[in-house]
Amino acid sequence: MLWQQLANGIAIGSVYALISLGLTMVYGILRILHVAHAGIYALGAYVGLFSFRLIGNFWLSLIVGMAGAAIAGYFVERLLYTPLLHLPRIAPLIVSIGLFTALEEAFRIVAGPHTLAYNARVGLGDLSIGSFHLTETQILILLVTLAILIFLWAFLTKTRTGLAMRACAQDPETTSSFGVNVSAIIAVNFLIGSAMAGAAGVLIGVYDNQVWPTMGSIPAYKALAIVVLGGLGNIPGTVLASIVVGLAETFFIGVLAIPFPRDAVAFVAMILVLMFKPYGLLGKA
Amino acid sequence: MLEVRGIEVSYGEFLALRGISFTVQEGELVTIIGANGAGKSTILRAVMGLVKCRKGKIFFNEEDITSSPTHHRARLGISLVPEGRKIFPDLTVAENLFMGAYIQEDRRAVQSRMEEAFSLFPVLKERQNQVGKTLSGGEQQMLAIARALMSRPRVILMDEVSLGLMPIYVEETFKVIENLHRQGVTILLVEQNARKALQAANRGYVLETGEIVLSDQAKKLALNPQVKKAYLGGT
Ligand SMILES: Nc1ncnc2c1ncn2[C@@H]1O[C@H](COP(=O)(O)OP(=O)(O)OP(=O)(O)O)[C@@H](O)[C@H]1O
Ligand SMILES: [Mg+2]
Repeated sequence: MLWQQLANGIAIGSVYALISLGLTMVYGILRILHVAHAGIYALGAYVGLFSFRLIGNFWLSLIVGMAGAAIAGYFVERLLYTPLLHLPRIAPLIVSIGLFTALEEAFRIVAGPHTLAYNARVGLGDLSIGSFHLTETQILILLVTLAILIFLWAFLTKTRTGLAMRACAQDPETTSSFGVNVSAIIAVNFLIGSAMAGAAGVLIGVYDNQVWPTMGSIPAYKALAIVVLGGLGNIPGTVLASIVVGLAETFFIGVLAIPFPRDAVAFVAMILVLMFKPYGLLGKA
Repeated sequence: MLEVRGIEVSYGEFLALRGISFTVQEGELVTIIGANGAGKSTILRAVMGLVKCRKGKIFFNEEDITSSPTHHRARLGISLVPEGRKIFPDLTVAENLFMGAYIQEDRRAVQSRMEEAFSLFPVLKERQNQVGKTLSGGEQQMLAIARALMSRPRVILMDEVSLGLMPIYVEETFKVIENLHRQGVTILLVEQNARKALQAANRGYVLETGEIVLSDQAKKLALNPQVKKAYLGGT
């Protein structure tokens, strides 16, 4: 029972991590709260679903969903955020909220208001050891998240571009004086962050077997809570905070059976942590 | 090699540089001295492209770079040791040095420059896996210089590199600068320590509230009564 809840909590926390990482990376490099990121997440789910209907292969649809989200994120950065960077940060924030609402409406117009089934065969099979049971989609989530996190870690720590990205988050001006095209680094940042959100959209689409226009609403504010909890801009902190929130949700609801709204857990955790660690779990002043 | 023609730079309404012109020839060590707020850092930032010029032009090896982005200027061989060191606080010493060598894609070349940096400042080798913010001020200053050299710049712009260092490190730093100069590196040096700067330099410019008021051989400037009075502490 305990192990079961642990597995459930980590699986859901993994998806939170995939969504929140893009948000924290964007904050780290541009100091913008990219609310529309949750719209990119839903877009990834839609693109994945429609490509699945066309090609019938789940893994390909995952890749297409990630690519679709990455391209959309890239255009959001180039067309909306970059032109507004010289303004106070409230301007891109308002634009971001507006874009998020517009995206939800666009999904409704294009794909209809109802939930659509994402009934994909992944081909992994369930796993049962005694009373411990992992569904196929949970295994899928864990594997995909693990692969993406390893990729992200290797990219940030082992490549020149990844090093430049970390430097940019600390001091873009000095970074540019070493020959780094900061604008290109920001674009790469959005491509990667958005692709991860797209993967999360596809994974949740398959996990819940549904895709719907407002599927980004709850992740939009929950990811904000997680990112603050992890220490804004802090990548390991965000992964940790995501898992903590995923576990807390499953334990409160599944184990203690407290009649507590699930989606409030992230905020309670955020408030509690901020009372003692104002810069988040792994945050620094 | 570097030619600045009548540049004006303003911060909002405030005109910080009022038509500055100067040149730095290949292999020269040129210094700009001036009081706090005279605009010395602004000049270096303008050459690096970190602030925009409202008027005037900047040429590097005959190429007009006035509107080139900063990263492009770095690729042409201009390197800056910025005021306040600007070490990346959460990158290790080795990663800070790698950033300095960003434009060099050949890993082996980077490795050998790393060795050179370590032989120039052995303390950096001991600290190579420590993050930047945990270094002492003097160690950060050494790292800032070593990092700016990693790209093998054709001209290096140094902003107050001896600031906040113990006298022994000031000596050490000027030795490094003079050595670089002997090796043929072109240097534009901005210093509070006008005496040392004029000793080391070939030529000097005196800057007052955004304007160049004097320019001469460094040795002659050091003997100029006005300069002595204002920047060398009398006599
Ligand atoms: N970002 C800025 N915004 C507004 N004014 C600025 C800014 N940076 C510099 N200034 C002003 O421009 C003038 C020149 O500044 P600069 O930093 O170039 O001086 P400096 O000669 O390097 O001085 P110091 O010896 O103290 O380093 C100063 O009066 C300063 O107040
Ligand atoms: Mg200065």
